[in-house]
Amino acid sequence: MRLPFFLTIGIVCLFTSLSHAQQTTEPTTGTIKGIVRDTVHNYVLKAATVSIYRADSSVLNYQLSNNYGEFKFTNLPIGQMLRIDISNIGYETFRQNVTIPKGQSTLDLKTLVINPRNETLKEVVITIPPITYNNDTLEINAAAFKLDTNATVEDLLKKVPNITVWGDGIITVNGKEVKSLLVNGKQFFGGDNKVILQNIPKNALEKIQIFNNADRNNPLDSSLVANLKLKKGKDRSYFGKIGLGYGTNNHYQIDGNINFSTPKLQLSLIGATNDINKTPNDINTLVRNSTFKGVGTNIEYQPDFRQTGINKGTVAGAKLNYNFNPESKDWNNRSSLSSDYYFSSTESINNNQSNSITTLSTNNQIFSFSENASVGNRVNHRQNSQFTYAKKSHQLDISESFTDGYSNSSQTNIRNASNNNNQLTSTNNGSSTDNSNSQNLNLRASYGYNNYSNWKQRFKSFNMSYNLSMSNGNTDRNEITAFKDLLNPSLNRDFNRNYQTDFKNLNQNIHATISNLKYLLFGNKNLANFDGKISAKLDLANNKNKNIVEDLSGNNYQINNYLSNNLQTNQAIFTPGFSISKNFHKQLSNRYSKNLSFELTAAQQISYQDNKSIKNFQNIKKNYNNFVPTASINYSNYQYGTQQTSVSLVYNTTIGIPTINQLAPLTDSTNLYNLQRGNINLIESKNKSISVNLYRYDMRNKNTLNFNFNGAIGLIEDAIIDSSFIDANNRRNNYLANANGSKYARMYGDVRKSLKLKAAELKFGYTININFNRTPNYLNGIFNFSNNFSTDNKISTNFTFKDKFALEGTQSVATSSSKQQTLNTVYKNVTLTSGLSANYNFTKRFSVNSNISLNSNNPSIGETINFTIWNAEANYRFTKGNNAEIKLSALDLLKQNRSINNFAGTNTFTTSTRNVLQQYFMVTLSYYPRKFGKDAAKR
Amino acid sequence: MFRKLINALVLALISSFQVYAQGKIDSTEMLTLRIDPQSARGATVSQLFDEVKFIPLETTKESLFGNIAELKVAGKKFIIYDYDTRAVLVFNDEGKFVTKIDATKLHSDKEDKEKAQSYGFRAIQEDGNDYIVMFTNNNIQYFTMEGKFVKKVKNFSYFDEVTMSDGNIAVKQNLSIKKGKDSTFYKVNLINKIKKDTIGYFTFDNKMWEKDDWYGDGGISQYAPNAAFFSTFYDYNLYKITPDAVSLAYKLILPAINTLPKDFVTNPLYVKKRFEFFEKNKKVIHGLGKSYLLGDHLYLRFSNIFWDKDQKKNLIYNIKTSELISFQDLEPDSLSHFLPITDSGFGYDFENRGFLAYEGGKFYTSYSSLAMFAFKERSADKKAKYPPLLENYLKTGDRKSNPVLVVFQPKTK
Repeated sequence: MRLPFFLTIGIVCLFTSLSHAQQTTEPTTGTIKGIVRDTVHNYVLKAATVSIYRADSSVLNYQLSNNYGEFKFTNLPIGQMLRIDISNIGYETFRQNVTIPKGQSTLDLKTLVINPRNETLKEVVITIPPITYNNDTLEINAAAFKLDTNATVEDLLKKVPNITVWGDGIITVNGKEVKSLLVNGKQFFGGDNKVILQNIPKNALEKIQIFNNADRNNPLDSSLVANLKLKKGKDRSYFGKIGLGYGTNNHYQIDGNINFSTPKLQLSLIGATNDINKTPNDINTLVRNSTFKGVGTNIEYQPDFRQTGINKGTVAGAKLNYNFNPESKDWNNRSSLSSDYYFSSTESINNNQSNSITTLSTNNQIFSFSENASVGNRVNHRQNSQFTYAKKSHQLDISESFTDGYSNSSQTNIRNASNNNNQLTSTNNGSSTDNSNSQNLNLRASYGYNNYSNWKQRFKSFNMSYNLSMSNGNTDRNEITAFKDLLNPSLNRDFNRNYQTDFKNLNQNIHATISNLKYLLFGNKNLANFDGKISAKLDLANNKNKNIVEDLSGNNYQINNYLSNNLQTNQAIFTPGFSISKNFHKQLSNRYSKNLSFELTAAQQISYQDNKSIKNFQNIKKNYNNFVPTASINYSNYQYGTQQTSVSLVYNTTIGIPTINQLAPLTDSTNLYNLQRGNINLIESKNKSISVNLYRYDMRNKNTLNFNFNGAIGLIEDAIIDSSFIDANNRRNNYLANANGSKYARMYGDVRKSLKLKAAELKFGYTININFNRTPNYLNGIFNFSNNFSTDNKISTNFTFKDKFALEGTQSVATSSSKQQTLNTVYKNVTLTSGLSANYNFTKRFSVNSNISLNSNNPSIGETINFTIWNAEANYRFTKGNNAEIKLSALDLLKQNRSINNFAGTNTFTTSTRNVLQQYFMVTLSYYPRKFGKDAAKR
Repeated sequence: MFRKLINALVLALISSFQVYAQGKIDSTEMLTLRIDPQSARGATVSQLFDEVKFIPLETTKESLFGNIAELKVAGKKFIIYDYDTRAVLVFNDEGKFVTKIDATKLHSDKEDKEKAQSYGFRAIQEDGNDYIVMFTNNNIQYFTMEGKFVKKVKNFSYFDEVTMSDGNIAVKQNLSIKKGKDSTFYKVNLINKIKKDTIGYFTFDNKMWEKDDWYGDGGISQYAPNAAFFSTFYDYNLYKITPDAVSLAYKLILPAINTLPKDFVTNPLYVKKRFEFFEKNKKVIHGLGKSYLLGDHLYLRFSNIFWDKDQKKNLIYNIKTSELISFQDLEPDSLSHFLPITDSGFGYDFENRGFLAYEGGKFYTSYSSLAMFAFKERSADKKAKYPPLLENYLKTGDRKSNPVLVVFQPKTK
């Protein structure tokens, strides 16, 4: 309860200093001051709204009276008649015409008496004040701001001092981030700020309410909420878009979208088709990118030039959200149902060329080349629903997701290998076709009972979750390969093989936890801050695989008895655990609150795997029994009014159970360059890891510094590794083995610093990503460690000037290296990317933007590749509501887009290039229908 | 822990007095006051008080503490209990740090199960000497005002005792009086040291803490050498204690929205369900906190656990004119250097604890440096002139400094 207080006081304090926000063009300026007083109750009014109007009734300036009831406006015109309005909840509005006399700089109105409203009299609103302060809530009244008829909520917020709408859609009030933006107390179409800000017209809005919503379970981490209260009758709305684009090389795009909203129901329908890599994977991204856009300074939703291949996509979807009790504002009294459906169909043409170097031993390498061309079709249906129910201490969540997918593809391969002397040793060419379909159902239910508000109750917390995942599908595949050994033709092999696979998987998982055992067993006793928790987890899996494999023999296909199989695996994993935790808390009232907690969990993982097959050697039963302890340390430091830092350190053990395909696979000999063998003696791998997380949240009003770092190191005992035998023709037999010495380390971090200048904003960001792997492997019987190291550093600077101009610069450096000690090989690669993008709004209707990125790829082997992608766009809005738009875009102006990928494996280094989308020009016409509230004529 | 203490003291029987009697409460002089807290008005600080003094408590590495949970004024010294550091700190009348009694100074016995930790203190006089008596889980420990350990004692009454008639009458809370096999428990006991008799008022069940939940911060508040008020749970009556008797002085009637149901105490429906009731009825006032009658001004404090910010809880009622003034509407003026005299509306020290003490005709309260620096910033336009003590603190201290004591003397005319 303490924070809301501080915050509101903060709001009051800052709003009281608004008087410099607006300036007049008058050459000489004066000051008006006074004190607002309720003489009936004999006190001054804090946070009363004092507004100054010009003679034509337009708002000149406004502020809230301070803690002493005082107000003071500077920079007011001298000798002009002005009107002063003072309003406060529960009071009659005070109104007076005033003029700062010529020759004077200050007009002191002394005490202005404001009278409580007689409740029996009807409220007569003379003029709505721009802002009011009502019971911890700051209200911004839309009607007091005169904007264009087509202005949106975003345009309004840009006019309110101390509220900033950032380029990335984040809203801050006095530097504090608004954590949730609601419309009439509810999430609006997925809660995306931009959809809300840029689609709701300012004229549909009654007021914006800003208040602090403290989380009851974590009162220190309170969050700022902004609620858009729509005018009565305006809570029924629709908005959407229809767009058509056509360009060079017959490139096209069509998209349409419509969203309906009523107090209980929200429904979106959407569809898009194009051949310019704009096929997002989920409906939210699609909705966000096909609704009305404000004239912001950001550049986004351009074709994804990084996507490989030439793709034609069609997507469509629907999304529905139903609220059972829309009036409820309590976090613990909500119930809602949401459901969405998404359809996507893509056709893609991919061409890929790659060169690999495989090191067999020092100075003995194989060079292989492969070229792959494929044409594919993929159709997917996905449906999700989610039901949430919360009442008092009970929370129930049920979600379900169903997918149905179909794909077909055909591809041709040209593969060959040469030796050190550049002599071709073998070729392995082939073609394949593939048809597959699959269905997948996921069901997840979780129930939680948490009661921390009533200290008397001993049973505090019980949580249980259940997951079910069912999938089945089948694949028809045909592989034709011809392996030619150019040195020894007797080893030549030709295959024409059909595969028919049916699979059915059923996975279930139950997890139950009872926390706070201390209260349950010992009541409110302290017990030196020790506490306990018991948990149990059960994972059940049932997988069935049926394979029928046929080989062409003469003109007929004949069953391949070795590869045809019927395999069933049942697996059960039970993990009971007991945790003990200890908490250290240190606080100094109004100064800091620090918390340190330790938790140790002792858990035993008992696993059973039973494989049944028509192949005797696959009838394997295995038991595993492992101690899987975890330990964690959490530290948090909350410094009142400054910052919050938290650090956590977690030790974890995970067990990797070998699958039947690792223990005893059926080896398919169609691709002699890659023959997978198993190892019946494999045991389970144990991954022991320590991860660390560091987080800082800045609570100051401006120039904030926030960061987030996480890292992990791990050691895998008995890791399941490759043991490969490669002959001079690049024929490879991959066996598996257990080995120690597998290690990894990774780190991710981001730092954000923002600076607010007078009319501009400056933001800096830095992200770092480091990955290290030390993977053991055997190559032709020689034990070897492969050390792979990669880094990625990116800095970005973002500058925006009012809503006119935006500039963003980025620079990233990515490095990767792979080193094989025994083989004495090192591969390195450095990629540099520089980007610059700019946006300028000439008028509210016309804007241009352009971005350029310079890419440089420097591998230690092979040539350095540089390319530049340059895009430019011009937008023009027309019609009364700015509802129509014409856009000219020029993409990849320099026609240099390429896709280069370098990959360093355990003993190989591969460079590959792929076909990509290249230069095109396009004209797009869009129309954005919007309507909030019922039509007057329909009433 | 608090409940444990209560049980311990209820069991501590008194034995040195021979005559026991059950007192009757006289209600002939009772006045009924109708009070609507929300109708309270404002006033300037100088209209109600003669003097306002801010005493910043010195901040050093050793003296750093959280906030003031309890305060005792012992002559020219302030004794403070801080729950954050579980320490008692002593400051002089200018706020200079004198000494500190923390866990390191407490003595743990070999037979003690856990290390001694303090849960509160009392300032007492024995044989003409001032002592700070620290409560620990196992015993109470005596320290001198300079922080020197004196002795440990097992049985002790944890409640402050109020003395009247030059020390001849002691008023003690929660004692049991034995008659034959049965013990009767009384909330208020007047012990006459000359006549050697004890009169007990307000019987109670010594298992009350186990049987039900009791929320409130009433008790005994002395406002004159021979006068004190007593208030108890779920009751809007103020009882007046004088050396001879306990009488019902004021019966308060509140607006319906603030009033407890009539059968709140008697209806078994509410037993052990009071928390839920208060959670649902946040405007209901549970009872009266420590109250004082100074001149014509009755200083009243209403308590409720689910705090509605707009509820006016600390009031001044003029018994002659029936004018009602609320503390949260007090207007700082030059007497208080334009600084508020409580942290209402910013922090919770005053809301949670009310006055820390009423001693020598002065009220004591405190607020954090976080609040003080915010108040100073807000009053920047006032160009207030601060006394040297405060001026120096505002220059050298910051938002993380120790809290500031606020002392104000009410006008009695």
